[in-house]
Amino acid sequence: MTATSETAGPSTAAPSTPSLATVELRKSFGGVHAVDGATVTFHHGKVNALIGPNGSGKTTFFNCVTGMIKPDSGSVSYRGADITGKAPHRIARAGVGRSFQLCRIFPRMTVMENMLVAVRSTSLRRQLSSARNPEELDRARGLLARVGIEHLEHSLARDISYGQQKLLELAGVLMADPDTIMLDEPAGGVNPALIDRIANLVRSLNAEGKTFIVVEHNMDLVMSLSDHVVVFDRGRPICEGTPSVVQNDPRVLEAYLGI
Amino acid sequence: MPSASDTTTVTSAATGDTTRRRGSMLLKAVALAVLAAGVLSFPSVAANPFILSVGVVIMSYAVLATSWNFVGGFTGYISLGHAAYSGLGGYATGLLVIHTGINPWLAMVLAGLVVAALAVPIGIASLRVRGASFVIVSIALVLILLLVFQSWGSFTGGSNGLRVPRPFGPEVLRPEQHERFFYLHALLLGVALLVWWLIDRSRFGTGLKAIREDEDKAQALGVPTFTYKLIAFVVSAFFTALGGGLYALWFGFLDPIFQFSILVGSYMVLMSLLGGIRSLFGPFLGAVIVGYAVEYFKNQYGDSQFHLVAMGLLLGLVVLFMPDGIIPAATNLVERFRPQKTSIREVSAADLAEQRRTAGPEAGQADQQARTDDGTDIPSTDTPTDTSVTEGARR
Repeated sequence: MTATSETAGPSTAAPSTPSLATVELRKSFGGVHAVDGATVTFHHGKVNALIGPNGSGKTTFFNCVTGMIKPDSGSVSYRGADITGKAPHRIARAGVGRSFQLCRIFPRMTVMENMLVAVRSTSLRRQLSSARNPEELDRARGLLARVGIEHLEHSLARDISYGQQKLLELAGVLMADPDTIMLDEPAGGVNPALIDRIANLVRSLNAEGKTFIVVEHNMDLVMSLSDHVVVFDRGRPICEGTPSVVQNDPRVLEAYLGI
Repeated sequence: MPSASDTTTVTSAATGDTTRRRGSMLLKAVALAVLAAGVLSFPSVAANPFILSVGVVIMSYAVLATSWNFVGGFTGYISLGHAAYSGLGGYATGLLVIHTGINPWLAMVLAGLVVAALAVPIGIASLRVRGASFVIVSIALVLILLLVFQSWGSFTGGSNGLRVPRPFGPEVLRPEQHERFFYLHALLLGVALLVWWLIDRSRFGTGLKAIREDEDKAQALGVPTFTYKLIAFVVSAFFTALGGGLYALWFGFLDPIFQFSILVGSYMVLMSLLGGIRSLFGPFLGAVIVGYAVEYFKNQYGDSQFHLVAMGLLLGLVVLFMPDGIIPAATNLVERFRPQKTSIREVSAADLAEQRRTAGPEAGQADQQARTDDGTDIPSTDTPTDTSVTEGARR
């Protein structure tokens, strides 16, 4: 993809360092080439968006990058270090947090217990110490307050509403203190007011230096939120650039509308 | 906007919370003391040696079920083949005593360590698969061991069984034996429960429970899931083997058909499910109920298979009506009589009017602040202070 340099808008004018990057990434399921030679670079400190029609391989791409699925070939690097084929927990501890499509939380654990799952250190002493240490609880409460569900601390995660579960998932990811946060459809199935709140959270976290990579179908959200958009079709990027550039690209219209 | 009166309410609510927590801890300590006293006084109230021996059997089941629960309860991996580890523990203890003549208690601990070491490769192989596949793999191991121990007569005694020397001299009579072994089992159960409790409250335990709920999600949050599962599995095998070893020393005779039986493994699962696999005392409670029922049916209907039918029926009822087990079901029942909690913040009309009045002209600004900072699904009047007040009032 050479589109990046040509389409650099005002927001990407400053030299940007790569966050996650893939080279010729491939993954097939039987005869289906879900990810088909994807070479993509996401920029550090930016809100990157990954869009594309249904079945274009976005989620498989996500899973390959985060180690949930081993790619058939190609490589993945994070901030210059090769992470291809590493176990998901290693990639997570390297600083890449992710949410899941359709929201995944730990249903029969309380909201607070959900927050305490994230592992930042595997030292034996730390692992055998009490999960409810005051420092960690304070941090968890702070993050719950930030997403606005601190009053639900003692509720079982399965008992809270879907929107609240989405917020909990985001707060849980933040507990691991990742540098890069990958969100798989953060606005899927939630009401407009909540979409606003999630967008504001992304903006404020980005302002604090977190890099985002967001898969999303809500175009208004993508266009208002992101600095850099990558459009996927049939398992590979067909176009990338600033939201305005992407919006007017004929290849994108073709991919979406099948003209 | 916080006012002086708000602050007082908040403080009193916080103190109330601490008092309540202290009260509940005291209640738990008392309950634990009563439970321990009840268990330890059993030998002195048992009417005759037979009842006492039933008590030992039940305690043995309790040890095995609690040990099973290290892997079943924490990680949700249902092993139907834990008899493999109790059987191996029993045989290893017996064979060590017979062939090396070492102290039987030392033999028991060594047997536990040997089985734990064996559990490492077994765990690495079997924990790769989840759900039903894991259950099948766990059963396969028991069947293999059954064949091996039946056929390898020269070493294991084969189908004739293995006589295990008793650790106490001939001067210790049978009722006295039962009593000693009852306390030994209670001690082992106590240790297993303590370790389970320590894991439950640790970060490691939180990781294990996350694996039970959603393994991939846990891994995405940085939990080294495979290592965690393996450690839980090995700890479980270790305690199960100790339970098997202690039983072997008490009973004095091992027969492969009973040691490596799917039924023993199924009992561990049934007991744990009945009591509640997510509760510390769930497997213990289940062992008391199932252990008692098994002995009762065997006593009433002799050698018939009726006790198996009854157990099958019990398992069906548990799955249908108390899928989480007795302890969570009972806790829920108690919770139902407490004031209900909702996931929506409650603000009474009076509170609202009061806030509007105090906020005055800044209200509009405050609204916006609330939206951008920590806005919620419901109107913007709820700032964190209000929550504490309303929650305080509801307590």
